[in-house]
Amino acid sequence: MKRILIVDDAATVRMYHRNILESAGYSVDEAMNGIEAIEKALQEAFDLYIVDVNMPKLDGYGFLRELRGENISQVPAIMVSTEAAENDQTAAYRAGANGYLVKPVKPVQLLTHVRLLIGETI
Amino acid sequence: MAFIKKQAQPSTEQTQSTPETRDCQSLLKQLSSNDSTERRWAARDLVECPECANALMQRLKIETENSVREVILTTLTRMGDPVAIAGMVDCLRSEDAALRNEVVEAMKQLPLEVAPMMLGLLADPDPDVRIFAVNVLESLCHPEVESWLISVITYDAHVNVCATAVDLLGEVGTSNAIEPLEQLKARFNAEPYIQFAADLALRRINEI
Repeated sequence: MKRILIVDDAATVRMYHRNILESAGYSVDEAMNGIEAIEKALQEAFDLYIVDVNMPKLDGYGFLRELRGENISQVPAIMVSTEAAENDQTAAYRAGANGYLVKPVKPVQLLTHVRLLIGETI
Repeated sequence: MAFIKKQAQPSTEQTQSTPETRDCQSLLKQLSSNDSTERRWAARDLVECPECANALMQRLKIETENSVREVILTTLTRMGDPVAIAGMVDCLRSEDAALRNEVVEAMKQLPLEVAPMMLGLLADPDPDVRIFAVNVLESLCHPEVESWLISVITYDAHVNVCATAVDLLGEVGTSNAIEPLEQLKARFNAEPYIQFAADLALRRINEI
């Protein structure tokens, strides 16, 4: 079973994403901010990260920069944000994201991106 | 591995600072020093110079060293005067996500000072500023928080502002929020996240 880490400071968002992903057969873990996510990434292997931009302590950009820069993990990451502007998306890809979704995310959007990045049939 | 930057250590630095150069003008000069340690000391000691709040805000916008930014925000929070608060609000419009998040956390520490500005922030033309304002409400402990959130989910046209407010209403909402939450579900009936979050909030309120 593929394992996904959801990184978001909003508990409702984490629950929403978890429901969608577990219903589709994925195993899910959660982190409330970038620092907690780094700790989890160092301890166990994930197949994908779903990362919010705005979080306290360490935001989504910071998390991805540490993840990639320190070579903790190179597995795919989807950045999720309320910001739809092109420069926000560019910043996410520069930080190390492989996909970008604008909130509120619809289940079909999320699952399509997840399957595509994990290498499954859409 | 140095993947997470260490926090500033003000207690250690206290013993190293040089009192004879601690007047406000000297501190302002040191705030622009090339040496980040010197900038950090200056930012800490400028708490005694409230007239320098604007200079601290200007430095915050260009400061790249995390530990200095943290100290500047701590100093501004301790000042808590109108210039400092207005400067922090201005930073909510920054393109720098880390700075915005740091400012939100700092504003949460200033409930009395931030509360009078909240109606203005919740009516800001920029939806991102309204989202950050709702985030600040999270720990504001003000008697108007629920009514502000109800107003947001009733009148704000932006789905993500409403979504952020619904998350918080699930924690602080009372029976007063039930009807507005039902109306929100009807207004955004094609948004699965709003349906999920509003149902969750309604369940929690009904459990009280």
